[in-house]
Amino acid sequence: MSEAAILVSGLQKEFLLSHSGVGSLKTLALWWKRRQLEHLQVLRGLDFVVTQGQCMAVVGRNGAGKSTLLSLLARVYKPTSGTVEVKGRLAPLLELGAGFHPDLTGLENILFNGMILGLTRKEAMARTDAIVEFAELAHHIDSPVRTYSSGMLARLGFSVAIHVDAEVLIVDEVLAVGDFAFEQKCYKHIESFKASGGTILFVSHNMEAVRRVADRVVWLKDGQIEMDGEPDAVIRAYESG
Amino acid sequence: MRADLKELWRFRELLWAMVERELRIRYKNSFLGFFWSLLTPLMTVVVMTLVFKVFLKNDTPNYSAYVLAAYLPFMFFNLALMDSAQSVIVALPVIKKVYFPREILPLASILANFVHYLLALCVFFCYLFVVWAASAFQQAPFTWRIAFLPVLLGVSLALTLGMAFIISALNVFYEDVKYIIGVLLYLAFFLTPIMYFSENVYYAMKGWGNLWLYYAYHLNPVAELATTYKKTLVQPGKIDVAGKLVDPVPQNWALFLVTLLTSIGILVFGYWLFNRMKWRFVERP
Repeated sequence: MSEAAILVSGLQKEFLLSHSGVGSLKTLALWWKRRQLEHLQVLRGLDFVVTQGQCMAVVGRNGAGKSTLLSLLARVYKPTSGTVEVKGRLAPLLELGAGFHPDLTGLENILFNGMILGLTRKEAMARTDAIVEFAELAHHIDSPVRTYSSGMLARLGFSVAIHVDAEVLIVDEVLAVGDFAFEQKCYKHIESFKASGGTILFVSHNMEAVRRVADRVVWLKDGQIEMDGEPDAVIRAYESG
Repeated sequence: MRADLKELWRFRELLWAMVERELRIRYKNSFLGFFWSLLTPLMTVVVMTLVFKVFLKNDTPNYSAYVLAAYLPFMFFNLALMDSAQSVIVALPVIKKVYFPREILPLASILANFVHYLLALCVFFCYLFVVWAASAFQQAPFTWRIAFLPVLLGVSLALTLGMAFIISALNVFYEDVKYIIGVLLYLAFFLTPIMYFSENVYYAMKGWGNLWLYYAYHLNPVAELATTYKKTLVQPGKIDVAGKLVDPVPQNWALFLVTLLTSIGILVFGYWLFNRMKWRFVERP
């Protein structure tokens, strides 16, 4: 058995849901006593291990905790209890082009985004050509990204994320933005990423896509793992109820 | 806190890139660009000099240089805090999607403002030089005390950073904070010896017969910094207090030491508070 790339054990996440929406000192003062804080248990103890080179899909209904799980893996949230461990460099694609600044040019944003994802300036510089080429944006790369269409932004974001030499990719339903040709290109890249030993964890509602790339599926239901196994079996169970 | 600092060090390149980005964005769509940040203090000093030297007949020699010496650091403090107050809340959509040490956000906006401040200081020294040249190189514009400037800059930076950590973190949860800070900074401008001199405070208090209020006044780190900047950057001379030219009160290093310790204390506390709160930014109710 190959080594573990993602280790999750006893993972719980709880959010405080406020109905008064304390966002100012006034509401804090007025609602001091009556402040209702609802504890929302989103993940109720997850345990799983993703081995290197595996491509795992997470399926489940809205509110099952899929995005929360990905955010925890991307270190955006801190777990309430339990641990998350990712070995190697992680590229989270929770939102393509998160951190792009509209007034900066495509090229400046590439450098900046690359560094957010953990590259050094030198490494980011060395990759700009490849990134621009993959995103097919050679003509627009010196214009500010506020002039880009959403498809162009998505292409640029995806292109940066896959060029940071990540060992683990975390993808949250973001591939549905480019046109058909670009989508195919993305899938092709994901397959070659898998073939070269990269680990992928992704969330999708598109069962066709899940069947196509995943070799393991986890079904999340109410913050717990309902089923974990072969794609066909899990998808069949998930779709029938 | 040690682990947090180590993590911050790992992301230092991102911090530099962020500072560079802030500097680049600020003037990207404006014609005069960087000169805006020099124009404002220069115009302010022209107006202040007009008001105090001409209208109010203040006879202090080198009045404009004195004002600039305290106004530039105050403006750095003011602008940097107003900028950084918004730094985290503006970046919420980003930090909900990617990880990097959150303290980079206020740090970057403070450091970008600090770069502006340093450039403004260069303009200040040009001004001193011009005045010196105009007086046919008679009296040197400043003394050996200028060597103390790096320490002053360090204390200014520490104080501003500490305040920025506190304000930017609190402002995520209570957006009133930035308005409160706006009001406090406006009041601080008058309670800081910028347009007037610490000597004004000194002789007014002496007239009352007790100096404790003079010391209390300088417990405010911003006021003590302004006083020390004036005494460090400009050749001390006679000062006009209520129509009479008096000798300057010598620099009180004990008071400065208090300010230095206060600033370091605020920095450590601010960083601690920020780190305590930073994981809840993305989960704010």
